[in-house]
Amino acid sequence: MPSFRTFILAALALSLMATQAWSTSLPDSVTLNQNGKLYKPFSFDHAKHISLIKECSDCHHHTTGTLVTDPNCVRCHANSSPTAVVSCKGCHSSTPFSPATLAEKREAKGRYHLDKIGLKGAMHENCIGCHSKRSQGPVGCQECHPRTKDGDAFYNADKQARGPAAKHAKSE
Amino acid sequence: MKRRNFLKACVIGGATITLGKTNKGWASGSFEGYPEAMGVLVDTTRCIGCRSCEAACNKEQNLPEPETSFTDKSVFEENRRPTSTAYTVVNEYEKKASEGPVYRKIQCNHCNEPACLTSCFVNAYTKTKEGAVIYNPKICVGCRNCMIACPFNVPGYSYESATNPVVKKCILCYDTRLKNGRPPACVEICPQEALTFGHRADLVKLAHERIRENPERYYDHVYGEKEVGGTSWMYLSRVPFDKIGFDTTLSNDPIISNVKDFLGMVPMVLSIWPALFSGIHLLSKKEGHDDHGHHNEPGQEG
Amino acid sequence: MKRYVKRGFSPVTSPFNENGDKRTVMNKLLLGLTPGEYLVQALRNPFNWVLAVIFAIGIPVLIGRFYYGLAWATSGSYDYPWGLFLGFGLFAMVPLSSSGFQLGTACEIFGRHDLEPIERLALLNGLLGYFFAVMYLLADLGQPWRLPYPMVVSFGPAAVLFLVAWHVATYLSVQVLEVSSAFFEWIGLPAGKAAVRRITLGLTVAGIILSTLHQGALGALFTYAPGKVHPLWYSSSFQWLHFFVSSLPGGLCMVITVSTIASKMMTWRGDVRFHKSLERCQISLAKGACMGIATYITIKLIGIAHDNKWSYLDTGWGQWFMLEIIVGFMLPLVLMTYGAHTKKIGIVRFGALLTVIGVVLNRVNTAMITFNWKLTEREIPPLREFIISIMLFATYIVVYRFILYRLPILYQWKAEEAVEPVTETEAALEPLPVRSRDGLPVGSYKSTTRLD
Repeated sequence: MPSFRTFILAALALSLMATQAWSTSLPDSVTLNQNGKLYKPFSFDHAKHISLIKECSDCHHHTTGTLVTDPNCVRCHANSSPTAVVSCKGCHSSTPFSPATLAEKREAKGRYHLDKIGLKGAMHENCIGCHSKRSQGPVGCQECHPRTKDGDAFYNADKQARGPAAKHAKSE
Repeated sequence: MKRRNFLKACVIGGATITLGKTNKGWASGSFEGYPEAMGVLVDTTRCIGCRSCEAACNKEQNLPEPETSFTDKSVFEENRRPTSTAYTVVNEYEKKASEGPVYRKIQCNHCNEPACLTSCFVNAYTKTKEGAVIYNPKICVGCRNCMIACPFNVPGYSYESATNPVVKKCILCYDTRLKNGRPPACVEICPQEALTFGHRADLVKLAHERIRENPERYYDHVYGEKEVGGTSWMYLSRVPFDKIGFDTTLSNDPIISNVKDFLGMVPMVLSIWPALFSGIHLLSKKEGHDDHGHHNEPGQEG
Repeated sequence: MKRYVKRGFSPVTSPFNENGDKRTVMNKLLLGLTPGEYLVQALRNPFNWVLAVIFAIGIPVLIGRFYYGLAWATSGSYDYPWGLFLGFGLFAMVPLSSSGFQLGTACEIFGRHDLEPIERLALLNGLLGYFFAVMYLLADLGQPWRLPYPMVVSFGPAAVLFLVAWHVATYLSVQVLEVSSAFFEWIGLPAGKAAVRRITLGLTVAGIILSTLHQGALGALFTYAPGKVHPLWYSSSFQWLHFFVSSLPGGLCMVITVSTIASKMMTWRGDVRFHKSLERCQISLAKGACMGIATYITIKLIGIAHDNKWSYLDTGWGQWFMLEIIVGFMLPLVLMTYGAHTKKIGIVRFGALLTVIGVVLNRVNTAMITFNWKLTEREIPPLREFIISIMLFATYIVVYRFILYRLPILYQWKAEEAVEPVTETEAALEPLPVRSRDGLPVGSYKSTTRLD
């Protein structure tokens, strides 16, 4: 999937910026979904989110900001200091289901975080999850990233009018 | 004359037995799936009903254009099922729930012991070691017994074709992806990672772990872990499964176990009947009556 | 035809015509009439006009089904993949054709030679029923030209349908052989008849095995869909028994019904032996059918009790079920028992007709009407599906009639002019004293007493 590569690149960009930001200053905006195929790249207003949420760990878990309070996480991470890697990409794989990732998971039987969501899932869950919980912020696909021409073709966007309810989709 | 007839009956009976004996062989009992079989865990609590999986499936499998756009949400007004032109569909349930609706993706569940496979009299279906239930359109006769047998109402049939109608259903992207170790197109496109691809055995553990860690988020059941002998696709849900269109009355035994009573009886009939009825025939004939005594044979007394 | 007979014409019953010359095949095909006479009698028959209308509409629709595909001709439903062609054509025709093996068994195995005047009709009924069940199947299959695949290309031996395919194919050949003796007589090949006669016992036993298995197998097909068939019509343990046992009275009653129609509609074709023994044979069959129905009702109730499904009787489905059981099985049981006892043949025949309807209703209920009972929507097959079904049934009637007109089914072939049939008809007419006295329902129970 071309969109996949897009996400890798986007994540890479985000992570680079984030790490740089941590060492220098926080980025005010981050361009996400660079080179997106189905959806266009867009600018993520980091500054606005900082001013609205204030708590870094709401998005970045225990990697930065306040230490975790979730009783389940506390069992291990009570004294974890902020990690060197803050970016999503640092932990969340952009290829969560590739043969290599799956093989690696199978090897690491003792690891606790086996059910770690992939990068794309992590971002969407984080954004949409929070937006819908607060009933604030965009939740629709195109509210963040407008569709490209390829995206229109992929979703057959030209066929917008709802046809007769032909349940069995039979062409007679 | 008697003896000759009796022998003949035995020969015919014997021939049918050898023919019939093979019939039971394949009805295995407690097959729990291939150890390396892959699967997909559908977490309906993550699904946002974007229908990207439907679009991805449509493109990957080269299916005909949809009637309306894949962004059209009005399709949720009706309860859809997979068809010959749409191998996967997303339906909306619990429309009025305060927590918001629940979306459920439907496709072939790729059973460990598929009913379609066991009901097929030309063995057109194969359960691959990767877990996919695939279908050979070149030998399908078109009896549609698989559609009768499927407990999930999945297979579609291209009735429109006059010369080459075939069964159409999700094949877990076997040809293009799964056999190379890649996840199916729907899994890859899902923005929410509502679909988790992995080894089925791992997914079962993972599903229970999710329930254990978030008991308030999940109804305590993994649909497909045991239903009809287990399926490669499994589901997690916030609400009881019957509320989101699942058949919760299915037994944990594979469908074929229902049929075994009959299949087991077959060799018995094949072996007992010839002897029984030939015997009765011999008994029912009067001593001294050489032939069958056909009254209507000209020149023969009754 | 009646008019010709009234005028003194006698239809073909022997290889020789009135002048003692050997008849040609064409002459036999035309029943001994001239082509002109034959055409006139065919045109005079109003039933032929009804058939003509059915074919005029039906044949184009059937061609359309193969030209435009199943979606054009049938509901093409995903949820109801088996429509009228199978629900009615296959599942109902097969049980009504169980007569062949039953009468074969009674005559050849149990030595009930008193039933022989009707044996050939029963065999033919079996053959044609199966043959047309296969015709319906061919109309329904997506790729009918692949029908031999389960035999030669690819085997799915764990499938019940695999058994059905093999057994129906084998049994069809068995039945062709069984009926062929009548054909050999008619065409004038005594050697062929003798060959078949020699393997009759083997054929009959093979017939019993194959019938038991695939009548049951048709029921077992539905055990693949445990949640889809309504529980009142479903029993995972007994489904095959329900289908097998109900096919027994179904086949016998079909023979009673067909022989009644034949004796009324083609009186001229039956010989003295047929007409004289008809009522006695029908009552014998009715007694057998009564045993079958009683057994069927019992095991049906056991099936309901076994899975404790009584509560379903209190629903709308339950009432429909009761209707089927009462009108289709219990009422005919009472009627035929009474009719057989008091020798009121009209009541017996009415009961038999009800049983035929009951068996058909049961199959259509299982395969179509109550199938998918959990789904909210029910589907009614489209008009074209009905037209093709009716047309195929009309073809069945035409072929049935064509054969009855010609082959020695309802009459005896007089192969040698010298042998007068009087002696053996009388012998056949005389019911064996032991049996007729104590009137036990089926010959099978009685025949062993002949040992003494």
